[in-house]
Amino acid sequence: MFANFRLSMTWLHTWFGLVLGYVLMACFFFGTLSVFDREIDRWSIPETRFPAQPMPSFDNVLKPVFEKLRAHPDDMAATAERVIGPLPHPDTMRMSSLYAYTTHRDPVLGVGGEFDIPNKPKDPTDDHLHVHGYATIDPRSGATLSDDQLKIGSEFFYPMHYSLHLHWLNLGYWIVGLAALVMLAALVSGVVMHRKLFRELFTFRPNKSTQRSVLDLHNLTGVVALPFHFFFALTGLIIFSGVYFPLGETLLKPLAERQEVLQADRTGLAHEPAGIAAPLSSVDAMVLEAKRRWDKRGMPGEVGYLLIEHIGDQNSFVSIFRAGSDQVASVGQGVHFEAATGKVIREDPPPTAVTAVNDYLAGLHLQQFRHWVLRWLYVVGGLAGCVCIATGIIFFVEKRKMQHAKANVGGARIVDALGVTTVTGMVIATLSILIANRLLPADLPLRGHWEEGIFWLAWLASLLHAFWRTAPVLQSRLAPAWREQCWTIALLSVAAVLLNWITTGDHLAATISRTYWPIAGFDLSMLVVASIAALSARALGRRERNATDPSDDDQDEPVETAHA
Amino acid sequence: MLSALLLLFATLCTVFGMAWFALAKESHWVQVRGPKPLTPARQRILRTLAAISIATSLMVCLIADHPTMAALVWIMLLAASALIVAFTLSWRAHWLRISVAWLQSK
Repeated sequence: MFANFRLSMTWLHTWFGLVLGYVLMACFFFGTLSVFDREIDRWSIPETRFPAQPMPSFDNVLKPVFEKLRAHPDDMAATAERVIGPLPHPDTMRMSSLYAYTTHRDPVLGVGGEFDIPNKPKDPTDDHLHVHGYATIDPRSGATLSDDQLKIGSEFFYPMHYSLHLHWLNLGYWIVGLAALVMLAALVSGVVMHRKLFRELFTFRPNKSTQRSVLDLHNLTGVVALPFHFFFALTGLIIFSGVYFPLGETLLKPLAERQEVLQADRTGLAHEPAGIAAPLSSVDAMVLEAKRRWDKRGMPGEVGYLLIEHIGDQNSFVSIFRAGSDQVASVGQGVHFEAATGKVIREDPPPTAVTAVNDYLAGLHLQQFRHWVLRWLYVVGGLAGCVCIATGIIFFVEKRKMQHAKANVGGARIVDALGVTTVTGMVIATLSILIANRLLPADLPLRGHWEEGIFWLAWLASLLHAFWRTAPVLQSRLAPAWREQCWTIALLSVAAVLLNWITTGDHLAATISRTYWPIAGFDLSMLVVASIAALSARALGRRERNATDPSDDDQDEPVETAHA
Repeated sequence: MLSALLLLFATLCTVFGMAWFALAKESHWVQVRGPKPLTPARQRILRTLAAISIATSLMVCLIADHPTMAALVWIMLLAASALIVAFTLSWRAHWLRISVAWLQSK
């Protein structure tokens, strides 16, 4: 089909990269924002702007919280679709298990529980007969935060980067998985087709033609951050391998169930309840014992994850996991107790080599560790990925727009319009949800849904604008849509900082003076975004003007490349 | 505080390492030092310095953090430093003269 291997790799890189590049852009951009998801949460929910808290006392704070926790209406509705007959009233449901999870960056605490239901499933193979309840609490008082407040960082941007918020048949996970696979193929094929990988490692010539400059930038950001791109695409696939290869729920289900039972026998952590009621001993005493054991192992730490299974039963057990603030793996070093007596059942042994590698790969992606330098370096890597994808799209357009203009076809324009939508349009949508968060009334019912709606509407508006203002591409000219959306980004970024000041009083001087970096850092980042967007808009304006000037820079300079 | 200083030193090592690595290429040497030839001896010196500097950065990262974390920090520092050097070369190439100020003009 192709004359040589390099040409076949070029075809693969170009077309697969183009089709899934738009998805990858969303994954990389929202993944980058997710590095600071908790800080974005603080910005979007001002009443949670207080220092991070350790796991609170279970006996005094969490126990009353769990006693009040009920099945969530959303999960009630979802479960009602799957079972025969009406679900019991939430007040009558028995909680069978519970959890609490926190990290060193969380002032608030996420809690949840699983409630048993007597209903039979519509699908006989559906064995998950539970309804879930979940809430976010202030760990200082146990007060529950309003469910209408969207944690924009951890509940919207973060899931966006791995699910695209497309939940039907897990479609988003599959699209992102395919995109990650294509990313790996694009990286390998990119290396194969790059003729001067080492010779031009540091080469970026901004004053050359747009086609040359963007290819330089594409190569630069792709090559220098290659390990980052490769490992994040790979570890993303590993984290969701259970979704992509659901063998334990399909072909190998009997084996997986047997393995669960055998593992329960081996570890002493009961798989099923005994059916005999038993009280819950002091969980705080168990936490103290777990901490004593971590101390003894030379790794003192705080509780990151607390789990109780088979609540109220003789077989109930409490599992306490250490927060992974000082390690790459998210949590670990679990200590398990008999819930009724507080006696230690088991302390997790050091992980096997396979488990350790798996925990490391997942942990390096999930980044719950306390390392601000590495966090910012991840942002650099993520943004390098965004630049690499964006410049790939722009290069595609630049290379073809003249040819398409002569042939009177609109392919380059469509690619450019979609490029504008996924590059600048995505930033506009992101800024719009943040601005909506500061402008919508605090007591608006379903406030979070309104914010999400504004995000999608803003993105749609940027798509329409992109298709409208890329018409000059048909004459092989630069689309003004890029410049106009860059100006919009600059304005919206400054507006976000000002609105935060007006609605909360937390202006930059105040947050910097009290070294409250989650908000100060966010506002400063917004101002940096505004500056970059304004400079980009001006540079694009100059390019547009120069393009009409026949004494332009080397617009017609041929670009020596293997790129198709 | 010590950890922050160590990481700052590791960053400087990778930035200088990448700068020397870049300047060992004729085209970047000319960008920074003008049309003065890059002799093979100088090229060897620059490449050796780059390797030592980048290896030193790894050592410093290993002192600052647990090896599992240090590996990530070092790899990401390499990427960030390469970007810093590439953008400096395209924007203010003469700034990199500081990294080769000790080499006499020939």
